[in-house]
Amino acid sequence: MFGYLQVQKSELLVREFDAYKSVYCGLCKQMGKDYSILSRLSLSYDCTFYAMLLMSVKRSCKGFKDGRCTFNPLKKCKYALAESDCFSKAAAFSVITVYYKLKDDLRDSGFFKKLITRIIMPFFSHWHKKAVKNYSEIDSFTSEMMDMQYKAENNENCSLDKAAHPTAFMLANVFALEAENETERRVFYEFGYHIGRWIYLIDAADDIEKDRKNGNFNPFLNAENNVCNLSEYMTAVLNQSLARAYDAYNLIDIKDFKGILDNMLLKGFPTVQNRVIGKRNMEVVNE
Amino acid sequence: MNNPYEVLGVSETATDEEIKSAYRKLAKKYHPDNYTDSPLADVAEQKMKEINEAYDAINEMRQKGKGTGSSGSYSSYSNASSSQFYNVRIYIQRNMIDQAEQVLDSTPMGNRTAEWYYLKGMCAYRRGWSEQAFNNFTTACNMDPNNQEYRAALNNMQNQRAYNYGGYNQTNVGNQSTCTCCDVCTAMMCADCFCDCCRMGC
Repeated sequence: MFGYLQVQKSELLVREFDAYKSVYCGLCKQMGKDYSILSRLSLSYDCTFYAMLLMSVKRSCKGFKDGRCTFNPLKKCKYALAESDCFSKAAAFSVITVYYKLKDDLRDSGFFKKLITRIIMPFFSHWHKKAVKNYSEIDSFTSEMMDMQYKAENNENCSLDKAAHPTAFMLANVFALEAENETERRVFYEFGYHIGRWIYLIDAADDIEKDRKNGNFNPFLNAENNVCNLSEYMTAVLNQSLARAYDAYNLIDIKDFKGILDNMLLKGFPTVQNRVIGKRNMEVVNE
Repeated sequence: MNNPYEVLGVSETATDEEIKSAYRKLAKKYHPDNYTDSPLADVAEQKMKEINEAYDAINEMRQKGKGTGSSGSYSSYSNASSSQFYNVRIYIQRNMIDQAEQVLDSTPMGNRTAEWYYLKGMCAYRRGWSEQAFNNFTTACNMDPNNQEYRAALNNMQNQRAYNYGGYNQTNVGNQSTCTCCDVCTAMMCADCFCDCCRMGC
């Protein structure tokens, strides 16, 4: 369910790409500091997007520092320096979401995956406890999401909207934490809602053929009977979420990294979407 | 009021032309057409008002005495008073979606007109439940094909489904040729990774 919120590298300026990388590295470093070196492996593009958004609206990026990558000491890299707790919050978000994802995997996955999950679970439980201490709101939104998701997916005639609602609702609430007044809260909520909805649906679109084979739940499988071209339908539904997210995004007071965030919304996410749908088209043709 | 130059995102030394183009860009961004039916319509309207005021203020300061002439207000519901679901519309306008749906759900089956489906769709839309909204708007349009209001809501959603924002163009999605732009891109990215490894990062 992770890693869809990417930039389109080819369309970024070099300095923007450097800034993006240094936010990624800064977040990675923070995870090492707050949790442990192993937790760094759970870092995803989604959390980088979250960190980027936080730093942008709070204007908390205070320059860059040279350093070396822990995993590849030969490689020099820059770390973004953030005032306030943007990185810590994004790190906590990453740990919390991965923890719940693993918990979910324990419930419904194959033998080997379960085995691996069992092995790494204790680490995440420990980090999760640490994260909850400072960011209990994020944790309660996420745990609520997992319960809602479970209920929604076990309901036989679960509509697309209902299936996507838990993820969307969670991200909406997490984003809304950043608002300073009621108007901002509504804007952040709407933005988070449609980004979350898009993440859930793109993940569903990505997994549809796999879920069909394994008989797993997938919201698009339910919708399939009512539409003539499933890929076109998925594209339309995903476009809609992006369009509404973009409208809300335009009302947010984006202070730094505007070029990068614009790139993600207008080029990065649509590119990821085209890749996912294109891949599915290929699979269907090959069968 | 904030510094009008800051509101438009231009420096105080910007030329009239630059200010005009900055204003136009923002006006396009916040245009009410982009926010028809959106729960954030009022926020966009407020922003629009701010940039209009800022633009007027700058023009006044520069002693042109020219206004934008675009400070009219946009009302979303033209035929509201004649509607049988007048209170539902008021609830929706105030973003009180739970109350609106309560009234709608208690409407007996026989009274579920095209307007009922339209408003039901509007509630779903405000919640972000786009699929349900789309289906309800479609039903409303099928029941009353001549109604401009329902048609506009449906058109708005159809535009979003085509996502023609920001000049992004959705062609080539179904392209099944073996080497797409994406492949080239991926290959370049892989190549770049190798470059990075050998510390010749390009």
